[in-house]
Amino acid sequence: MATHVHTPNGTEMTGATSLVKSLEAAGVEVMFGLPGGAILPAYDPIFDSTIRHILVRHEQGAGHAATGYAQVTGRAGVCIATSGPGATNLVTPLMDAAMDSVPLVAITGQVPSAAIGTDAFQEADIRGITMPFTKHSYLITDPDEIPRAFAEAFHIATTGRPGPVLVDIAKDALQKMTKFNWPSSIDLAGYKPQISPNAQAIADAAALITQSSKPVFYIGGGVIKANAHKELRQLVELLGAPVVTTLMARGAFPDSHPLHMGMPGMHGTVAAVTALQKADLLITLGARFDDRVTGKLSTFAVNAKILHADIDPAEIGKNRHADVGVVGDVKETISALIPALKAALAKNQPDLSAWLRQMNSLKSTYPLGYDLPTDGSLSPQHVIQRIGQISGTDTIFTAGVGQHQMWASQFISYEHPRTWLNSGGAGTMGYGVPAAMGAKVGAPDSTVWAIDGDGCFQMTNQELVTCALNNIPIKVAIINNESLGMVRQWQTLFYEGRYSNTSLDSKRVPNFPMLAESMGCVGLACDNPADLDKTIEMAMSINDQPVVVDFRVQKDAMVWPMVAAGTSNDEIMIARATAPDWDSQEL
Amino acid sequence: MTTAPRRQHTLEVLVENAPGVLARVAGLFSRRAFNIDSLNVGPTENPAISKMLIVVGVEGHSLEQVIAQLDKLISVISIKEILNGNATEVHDTQPDYQN
Repeated sequence: MATHVHTPNGTEMTGATSLVKSLEAAGVEVMFGLPGGAILPAYDPIFDSTIRHILVRHEQGAGHAATGYAQVTGRAGVCIATSGPGATNLVTPLMDAAMDSVPLVAITGQVPSAAIGTDAFQEADIRGITMPFTKHSYLITDPDEIPRAFAEAFHIATTGRPGPVLVDIAKDALQKMTKFNWPSSIDLAGYKPQISPNAQAIADAAALITQSSKPVFYIGGGVIKANAHKELRQLVELLGAPVVTTLMARGAFPDSHPLHMGMPGMHGTVAAVTALQKADLLITLGARFDDRVTGKLSTFAVNAKILHADIDPAEIGKNRHADVGVVGDVKETISALIPALKAALAKNQPDLSAWLRQMNSLKSTYPLGYDLPTDGSLSPQHVIQRIGQISGTDTIFTAGVGQHQMWASQFISYEHPRTWLNSGGAGTMGYGVPAAMGAKVGAPDSTVWAIDGDGCFQMTNQELVTCALNNIPIKVAIINNESLGMVRQWQTLFYEGRYSNTSLDSKRVPNFPMLAESMGCVGLACDNPADLDKTIEMAMSINDQPVVVDFRVQKDAMVWPMVAAGTSNDEIMIARATAPDWDSQEL
Repeated sequence: MTTAPRRQHTLEVLVENAPGVLARVAGLFSRRAFNIDSLNVGPTENPAISKMLIVVGVEGHSLEQVIAQLDKLISVISIKEILNGNATEVHDTQPDYQN
């Protein structure tokens, strides 16, 4: 845990020093940022601080790195930028963090308070711009407010449903003198997240579960946020019902567990998608009925009752009516549910054997798979699967967004929480490399692989310079299919193969290994299956420099199964124009 | 979690009296496609707190969802629904599962 540096209250200092002392008091160990005019006063005391500041090459990299750090450590990630364009470059990471409930504190410089509203040089209303996707935000013009604002910002970011908080500080507030005054406690009249679940709701939940003969655990990212994976496993094994883990929850429950049916949703397994569709009860823990999971909402799990437990009351009933809603920290909720369910099961033990037999039949009949190319070229799924197998289950994986992201979710086995980081809600291309940088800073002893696409990589690869210069030896696998692969897949399926603007020619330009070498990384390439394992092993053997591997794969591979956007989960396809053979299943 | 059949509901919302709070509330209604039929903002006896009277048009959303989203704003302190047009006859409309 962080060493908190306590500066005595009442000490006289500049607002800038007060900012840095506040971060120290909040236990911040590292921040990612890039200075500029309005934030410059803060960078003077940063020079002397015990907090490690990592100088990025683009503010977007700072934001996603802070997110990667937060996702791996469970602590708030911190990023810092100047006013105007520096601040607007944080917009995408803030939106990304909001969609995936990541605790983030973003600090931005603002023009001097007298200049606010005058269209001053590098002035942007960043608080206004980010209002839709910050959990809260501050504009500080009085230096006396700095410690309280930061104490509140970290409290808000890390408690309840985690999320990003923006602190915008006018330059003159950084320059003026103030007395440091770190608050001993925080009391926000408008913010009292409910942590402990209501006892009646827990009793109702236990009763609902015992009335079900086809229950499914629908597990979302909240379980990882709440560090509830151990409790989840106890609860699952107590009931013995099948489990699905969403894209944000991969690793919350071991993939190797026999009750795990895999990931549900647009590219979920047949077993996971069907488990939700045919269930009579969804035991929903820290998930939010996202459209990528439900498919066409009116046809989603039509015969299921809904038990919905979430820390955010607004999620309950938002997309799907909940028969029983439980508001609270999901770890506390599961911990309360275990004894309640034990007592209820002692009186009424439902027989789940027929349901489990059906689900296990689907799981064994329709495992995830792929065809190896017959022309000797590399299969993208095979590359990703071998990276997972060779690097092991303690490795942390990040991904960009697209086909490679789905394959990395499907073909790597996740056994532990906080080992799979991706941009689930926002779908931010370019998340992979900077998030891996932040993850490696947060977990320096772990191997960190970014599974990236050739499109995504070209959006944020500049942070490899940051990695090379700051001893952050991440590994990057570019799954180079020389196209915007997922968009191309949709063009194949829904636009008669008219490939409008999806060809990137990335096998010609850029030369990825040379680009990597020029940024201080080791650059490798692999284009045939015979070299695959030894290339991965070579990348694994290099731990003093970042490594980039250009895996030149065949470009026609598609992500299956697939539920096309806007259609029902019942219309899941296991390959092009191929539905599962439902007639042979007893459902 | 039942939605009243009435289309219009009047909410009395106590908020921090701070810059940007009106933008937070208006922005929330706009981005979530909730309807504001009318909005009044005035002072309270406590200078740190302002009172908003919001007439909400509920179509396509439940009143509970509007209230739950509004309640997520840190600057919002409390939300009550005014019944029968009588400001003294207010009751707390926080969803049951929150109690």
